[in-house]
Amino acid sequence: MPRLHKRHDRSDIFIHWFNAACWLLLLLTGVGLIQNPAIDPFGSGYPEALRNLVGGGGNLLAVHEGIGLAWIAGFVLYLLVNFKGARFFLAEVFAVSPGRDMAWMLKKMVLMTLGPKALKLLGMDPSLPDQGYYNMGQKAFAQASVVGGIVIAATGVVMYLSDRTLGAEASGWISWAVTLHFIAVGLVFAGLLVHVYMAAISPEERPGFKSMFTGSVPDGYAKHHHRLWWNKISAGEE
Amino acid sequence: MAKQQLAMLIDAAKCIDCKACVLACKVANEVPDGQWRNWIKPADAAPAPGPAPRAKARFQPGACMHCEKPTCVEACPTGATYKDPATGEVVIDETLCIGCGNCIPACPYDARFRNELTRKADKCNYCPERRAAGLAPACVDTCPTKARVFGDINDPGSDAGALYLRNQARLTRVAAKTDTRPNMYYLGDPGPGDWGREAVVPASMVAMKRSAPVIKALVGLSGLGVLAMLGRQLFAGDSGEGDHKEDSDA
Repeated sequence: MPRLHKRHDRSDIFIHWFNAACWLLLLLTGVGLIQNPAIDPFGSGYPEALRNLVGGGGNLLAVHEGIGLAWIAGFVLYLLVNFKGARFFLAEVFAVSPGRDMAWMLKKMVLMTLGPKALKLLGMDPSLPDQGYYNMGQKAFAQASVVGGIVIAATGVVMYLSDRTLGAEASGWISWAVTLHFIAVGLVFAGLLVHVYMAAISPEERPGFKSMFTGSVPDGYAKHHHRLWWNKISAGEE
Repeated sequence: MAKQQLAMLIDAAKCIDCKACVLACKVANEVPDGQWRNWIKPADAAPAPGPAPRAKARFQPGACMHCEKPTCVEACPTGATYKDPATGEVVIDETLCIGCGNCIPACPYDARFRNELTRKADKCNYCPERRAAGLAPACVDTCPTKARVFGDINDPGSDAGALYLRNQARLTRVAAKTDTRPNMYYLGDPGPGDWGREAVVPASMVAMKRSAPVIKALVGLSGLGVLAMLGRQLFAGDSGEGDHKEDSDA
């Protein structure tokens, strides 16, 4: 049996897939809530069709708010259950080693789209700098998700409270909350497309994808993709 | 048949500034204390006795003008405020409105406010509950001099339509710095009619509109990147593995 290294707790796996499910539903319902010709992301009849499906814009808003509150509650629950895991995650994703990580990021982008020959043509060594627990691509998306997620949740709560407790003097805040909610979701979504491809479709990361169900990765994968982490755990085992 | 356009025609010469319309509206629509859906503007100079030239009594009843080109609708991110294509009314969907307030400065006539109790945008809605019961809007019904005529101006068979057709040449509207083509028409002299200000779309909404194409471009770029990677995965055959080192494999 190949040697395995534990990467994710059960609570980590839960919050990942819970977050993914919420994001999918919140995106689908949220896009349907934007209906202004200047903004409508697809410039289509989607908002109209979705509103008809659920019996009006008010119902769609209620569904979106309900899922959004459940999403926030899920994260609060996760923090209560595994605060240590969350702190480890945050420390890892925000620890950037500029030279090493930028070089990795730029080379990886060329490798994934144009291939190693393109790097060689530019006179660059196509091998990638060693990466730690997360590679720079994962870190960049995690950073965007964390910062974006906090902005999305906070602005979401402001909008939720708008017609429940907030007065007219707060409407400047509420209006900015609408705008920031939209921008933050848009930016994280742009990263999400790459995240889904890299994790679920690209064959290279297949063991990483599987670990989001099983919790652990094979030794070879850890050594090949996360050398600095592998060095650390290997040294610890000796 | 032409599309409906519900509108209010007001004979300003008949208005006696009794404010019954303001009160009736407030009662019929349960508008909170200190807030009003409609108004009567007096002329700049108060009426005075004595020989001519003297200041005449001129009064200008007003409210949401259910504009042809409503700037409030352009300021709403969700379509909670929209122009009903069937009736030409500017409607607020209270179930969808969260009271973000974008539409309030966007109305050059200050016809909108944030209702203190519902915490949502509020304004004249031509009393839909009364109309459903076969009654005229409260302000129209209550007016003792019958200065107000309400109805579909595109239907020549209706009172409003007939009055509109007969007087088209001399009907006036309030002018605003932003032309919204209001559907509130005045017969007689309603006093100063150029007080409408510029429609102000809040900076946050402007930012949302301006960021939309940038966000679309970023998502598109990201999507193209994914397609490029997928294309390489499917057609280039090799993922580059073996050709380069992913990590320092000794």
